[in-house]
Amino acid sequence: MRASKEISPPLTRSLYMNAPFAGKDGETAFARLCVELRPDLFRFAFWLARDRQVAEDVVQEALLRAWRSRESLGETDSAKPWLLTIVRREHARLYERKRFETVPVDDLVSNESPELAVAEEREVMDMRRAIFALETDYREPLVMQVLLGFSTGEIARELGLTQGAVLTRLFRARQRLRRDLGVAGSAEDDES
Amino acid sequence: MNCLEFRRAAGADPEHLTAEALAHRDGCPQCAEFLKKVQRLDATIFKALQIPAESRPALPPDLQPRLADAVQASVGNRNRWYALAASIAGGVAVGALLWAGGSRDVLARDVVAHMAHEPEAMAVTSVPADAGSVRTVLAKDGVRLRSDMGRVSYVMSCPFRGHEVPHLVVQTSAGPVTVLVLRNEKVSRAKTFHEQGYSGTLEPSGPGSIAVIGGSDEQVKEAAARVGAALEWTR
Repeated sequence: MRASKEISPPLTRSLYMNAPFAGKDGETAFARLCVELRPDLFRFAFWLARDRQVAEDVVQEALLRAWRSRESLGETDSAKPWLLTIVRREHARLYERKRFETVPVDDLVSNESPELAVAEEREVMDMRRAIFALETDYREPLVMQVLLGFSTGEIARELGLTQGAVLTRLFRARQRLRRDLGVAGSAEDDES
Repeated sequence: MNCLEFRRAAGADPEHLTAEALAHRDGCPQCAEFLKKVQRLDATIFKALQIPAESRPALPPDLQPRLADAVQASVGNRNRWYALAASIAGGVAVGALLWAGGSRDVLARDVVAHMAHEPEAMAVTSVPADAGSVRTVLAKDGVRLRSDMGRVSYVMSCPFRGHEVPHLVVQTSAGPVTVLVLRNEKVSRAKTFHEQGYSGTLEPSGPGSIAVIGGSDEQVKEAAARVGAALEWTR
């Protein structure tokens, strides 16, 4: 897992290595783990749902399920993919129960724009718009790779795809983003 | 490997190229340039995906023991409120279990965790942030600059423990330091901490505190003194 290793593993490993999640100590260790991982879980849920409130609900439900099953988690290092799987399934369950209205991409971007307005990063705002517009089949593996640091093999296992299919989706996701953002020369780059 | 194969590989997984692909890159300037473009694209994708992740209100300390109880209750109870409380425990109120270990340490950990989730902010750079943005972000929290705190290279109004807080990166001669202005986090005295290989300090400031995180105690101490002197609370 690439990006996540850069972001949080020292804390994860030092605090939780070999820590069972049973008993009082296990509760505390698991609680700390949840607090630490929650931002990534929320961002993953957000990019699945493209809705902040839905993402909050998904993460809450997922953490409740995880809390109940925490004693079944033996390996600390597998906690993050385990929790992400629960988030993913919870998101799927929510979509089974509810049918959300289609929201225009510009509305999605503007909902997240206050933070961007301060930073004045037009490029990031445009990219966010383009990612919002990606189909789920492309957006999900891209989020797993770039944001969460999953390898293509891990993404393949999580999504039930071949590694080749994941690579194709990742390639096409970036290709679409470059096209949507009007990156000069991208067509020649891809074809040459 | 030919150029088309290289670009397919680089466009799918630019950070994990095979030895064969890397050899092709080294011998093909056009493909080397293509890889750089993909990596720049990925840096922007990463920034775009980093939406603020904290939007729940911070948990009042007096509720935390009750929510810890709710966690227990939820295990055998399908009642919706308990379920909600317990799931909040999973996300935010699970911090209730942490508070037993000392809130000050948790604050330091939260500060470092927040910083670690915006790694791009910590780049060493000579490019200053827009001065107007710095003023705007600080003013939202009732703060203005009465003196120079150094070259600010990054400024963002970030959700932190249920409040929007100014998050700045100041470039010093010893590298960048992160500054969080925490109006709602009181500390009684300055306290240094070490988390995830970083040095940091939490210091009283105005109605709340400031957190300064850097690479060494000396760097942090010097930066904290300068930042603390530069900030003026207007309300």
